[in-house]
Amino acid sequence: MFNKKKKLILALTTLTILSVSTAMERHHTNHTTTEIVINNPWVRSAPPNAPALGLFMQINNNTDHDIKLLSANASGYKRIELHRSVVQGDMMKMVKQEFMPIPAKGKLHLKPGSWHIMLINPESVPRKGDTVIIDLIFDNGLSKTVHAQVRKGKKMTGNHHRMMH
Amino acid sequence: MNNKLLSGIGVVALVIAIFYFYWWNINTSSNKNYQDLTKQLKVSHIIHNPDKKLLSFSLVDHNNNKFDNNNFKGKWTLLSFIYTHCPDICPTGLMDMSILKSTLIKRDVNIVPSLVAITFDPARDTPSVLKTYVTHFDKDFLGVSGDQVQINQLIRPFGTYYERVIYAKNGKSTVLKNDEPLPKDALESGYLINHTAWIYLLSPDGQIFAGFPAPHNPIKMADDIELFIKNY
Repeated sequence: MFNKKKKLILALTTLTILSVSTAMERHHTNHTTTEIVINNPWVRSAPPNAPALGLFMQINNNTDHDIKLLSANASGYKRIELHRSVVQGDMMKMVKQEFMPIPAKGKLHLKPGSWHIMLINPESVPRKGDTVIIDLIFDNGLSKTVHAQVRKGKKMTGNHHRMMH
Repeated sequence: MNNKLLSGIGVVALVIAIFYFYWWNINTSSNKNYQDLTKQLKVSHIIHNPDKKLLSFSLVDHNNNKFDNNNFKGKWTLLSFIYTHCPDICPTGLMDMSILKSTLIKRDVNIVPSLVAITFDPARDTPSVLKTYVTHFDKDFLGVSGDQVQINQLIRPFGTYYERVIYAKNGKSTVLKNDEPLPKDALESGYLINHTAWIYLLSPDGQIFAGFPAPHNPIKMADDIELFIKNY
């Protein structure tokens, strides 16, 4: 009887220590990655034979210096490129970018008609509701793994101020 | 004798006057209504011009049927020019067209416009590629491919134009005008297309009626189209 109680206390203590250390670890991870915070990453759902997909998100830079997004990696694509749609007169231009600049204490909004990550020649086009996992590589040595949900780009009542002037 | 001459001149003058009156009337009446409409328009430009008809063309739709001028006749058509390797602008435009269609169906005018997307890029966008692609955005979409030269001719009166951009491995880009041939390896290495991104409305006579520049607002476009149809 007494032995059983002792065992139970030991088990409880072990569990407590374990959970505290896990929590500490989690806190630690959170702390180091808040320098760059990614909000609302999403991939626009596309036809099952789409040769290119657009990936969008908001990248927040909480550091005191400008950073650059240098590249994005994910398996299952022939190439992944950084792009920006720009309006020049009547012409919509897709301009390949060497990097994406995220200003110090600022953000860069990747959205339709503007900055976007282009996923080229997918082995299979993800469906609506799927998650695309992608690594972002920044010039300050940090990298971020992003889970982007595939969804339809636009709601009937969405706002349309998404083009740059 | 003098009287006869005078009355002869009078008749000729009358005939000329009547002719001019009708000529002036025809010319102004067909444009006048639409000019008045211009002030009320929210997002569109009237391109309607009775003197400029679409040249005859013959392309292939996504079911491998012939697609020519007759396909635009007898109904209102929403048309855009696209290419399927386009990750951003074209999907947005196709989605807008689908929203616009369902908006128009609910309006007083109660029309069901045809949805047509013609590719700039028939080398990669074959009819079967287009079929899978465009019907994703709306099951009623009809994709159209065909001869590049015919497509280049067709887009001209719309004021639509495009250029292909090839990126080399070192990041340098080369721009090709639409009539320049593609280099051999371009299909393998890939290329982008810079292009105008208007949506067009064609009237039941099979001619261009109005154009809508990007970015598109389907609700305001529907307001304008309702006005066109009521005054057509």
